[in-house]
Amino acid sequence: MKKLLVLLLTLVMAGMLLTACGRDDAEDVAVNELTVWSWDPAFNMFAMEVAAEIFERSNPGFVLNNVEMPWETIDMQLTTIGISGEHHLLPDIMLIQDQAIEISVLTFPQLFADITNSGINFNEFASGKTDFSVVNGRNFAVPFDNGVTITAFRTDILAQAGLTIGDFTNVTWNQFIDLGRQVLDTTGMPLLSTYGVGASFMDVMVKSAGTSLFDANGQPNFVNNPAFREAVDRFIEMVDAGVMLLPGDWSDYIGTLAAHDVAGTLAGCWILGTIQEVGPAGVWAVTNIPRLNIPGGTNYSSWGGSSWVITSNANFDLAVAFMNYTFAGSTELYDRILPAAGALSTWGPAAASTVYLEPQPFFGGQTVFADIIRFSQNIPDFMGGIHHYTAMDQIDIALGNIINLGMSIEDALREAEAAVRFEMGL
Amino acid sequence: MEQKKGFKLGLNQKQGLIGWAFLSVAAALIIVMNFYPMFRGFLFSLQTGVGANMEYAGLFNYRRLLEDPQFRQTVSNTFFYLAVQVPVMIVLGLILASMLNSKNLKFKGFFRTTIFLPCTVGLVAYSLVFRQMFAVSGIVNTIAMNIGIMDTPFNWFGTAWSARLIIILGLLWRWTGFNMIFYLAGLQNIDQSIYEAARIDGANVLQQFRRITIPVLRPIILLTAIMSTNGTLQLFDESVNLTGGGPGITSRSMSHHIFNAAFQGIPQIGYASAMSFVILLFVGTLAFIQIKIGDKR
Repeated sequence: MKKLLVLLLTLVMAGMLLTACGRDDAEDVAVNELTVWSWDPAFNMFAMEVAAEIFERSNPGFVLNNVEMPWETIDMQLTTIGISGEHHLLPDIMLIQDQAIEISVLTFPQLFADITNSGINFNEFASGKTDFSVVNGRNFAVPFDNGVTITAFRTDILAQAGLTIGDFTNVTWNQFIDLGRQVLDTTGMPLLSTYGVGASFMDVMVKSAGTSLFDANGQPNFVNNPAFREAVDRFIEMVDAGVMLLPGDWSDYIGTLAAHDVAGTLAGCWILGTIQEVGPAGVWAVTNIPRLNIPGGTNYSSWGGSSWVITSNANFDLAVAFMNYTFAGSTELYDRILPAAGALSTWGPAAASTVYLEPQPFFGGQTVFADIIRFSQNIPDFMGGIHHYTAMDQIDIALGNIINLGMSIEDALREAEAAVRFEMGL
Repeated sequence: MEQKKGFKLGLNQKQGLIGWAFLSVAAALIIVMNFYPMFRGFLFSLQTGVGANMEYAGLFNYRRLLEDPQFRQTVSNTFFYLAVQVPVMIVLGLILASMLNSKNLKFKGFFRTTIFLPCTVGLVAYSLVFRQMFAVSGIVNTIAMNIGIMDTPFNWFGTAWSARLIIILGLLWRWTGFNMIFYLAGLQNIDQSIYEAARIDGANVLQQFRRITIPVLRPIILLTAIMSTNGTLQLFDESVNLTGGGPGITSRSMSHHIFNAAFQGIPQIGYASAMSFVILLFVGTLAFIQIKIGDKR
């Protein structure tokens, strides 16, 4: 009898263990709460915070659950949740890199809510930006920042080398590297740093000439691509000369700015939030980026714009109301996040704001945002494509092969192109 | 009385049934948590397509493996780790265990704890610490420069061999103590009088080690060899966090490559599953060989 009891208890416990694992999150979600995943507290999360504050005024009791999640993790979550079908793990709203929207919608059609007819007026957003989130004629995201690339320098460091921000304006990469050597020789400081191995940087350089890493048929085009080759040559030259630091991951990169190891940086304008945290105030100045010395080369490009998607697990009505009231409807929101974080809107009505024209004391009185808007109007059109991240991975490997392992540029690019073709199943 | 006879179990049968009842819980858990996912993984490995749009394609993924130079590279990286790290670790573990088992050693508890302590550290945590230590401005370069071994800082993660070396160093640091504990437990079962007898017969320390310690510990060495082989073939955390698989992919492990196929860029779950089953094949084959060679019972 006793043994039977023990047996029974064991089985019951095992049963409980099993059911506990499969239990759904049955907690009642507060009706007036939205969970949001995004990265960069100085930028995206800050913007969300301000939006929640504005929304709360007309919607008392609204609660924002603002979760920090690096883009790499969000990307991984999308794949895991998409494959397992456990859609209840999704938040209400999440930030997604523009280049990832199309591929995510195509690979996992169940992840995001179709918001074409939600009442959000997509015509008010810049069309080039909205295109990223339109798949088969349906809208899947509310466009956010546009990631215009800028070069930002500390003018006090440049002055030590007898240079001004004007010397870095409208230059070619060759001129830029020469100036960098001059700064390095006189101050001992590298001109700039970037994160990762350099593929994103390379992508920005290629896009600035209106070209792509893929040809018109969507095939990878690394070897016979003059713009890409020029970009690789100049990038390697910068690294070899010590003008460019490659500190590693994102936090190491921010570290080089915070520790003032470099004279400045080249990135999307989202970096302005970090720069304003790092300081020092009054000495930073912003200009356009260098151009590739090839036909069609321009001084303008974009880096890492992103958009907000409403997931299939969302409190749909609340999420739409929230987005419609804030990111697709509040000039106040953009007026506040622009100077504080450098969040440059892609929402038309916000561009009429006078905040854009104000001189910024942090940037020595420069009308930074008017300048950036001017840059944004000159960005050449470029093709995205769903294999963007595959190309980025392989270019990172190729750069490692060239910089660290001494492989010739031709061989490294040929291998990378072959690897991308392999992954695409070509 | 007679009616009840049909339900009456003998003592042996009864105990056997209870044994099975206890086993069934663990077995059920293993089936649900391990075998079912493995089965699903195998089905995945026979499918191609991206994301949620998968269809069956037979052995397509397995054929594709043979044409993937990057997978070949990661296989050879992983087998390099295996070939260097496992033997070195086992020998080191045996030596440390014999030393700790010596009667003359003071502060035994202290040494035992210190050597075992690394395996209580999280894999990601220690990988990040190692990365900091071997960074260009890290402590290893700083010390080496201060005592005059090097003039300029060496980029440890900048060449293939130094990056692989650091992964192996990390693995040795993390796992030697773990294996040593097994050996130590085995050694404590050996009667000291056997060693005394050997000493009287004139056997030196090396002979005692070869003729007594190793043979007695053979089953335990076999166990640790299989466990370390298994673990090394599935190496992941160190490759991702310590070297990032770089430079290029010269230090990337198989599991890291599988992870990338599944979670980076376009999700290739089918292909990633096929690669996982190749690892299973490797682990199974190696374990089989080790058992055949090592088990003399």
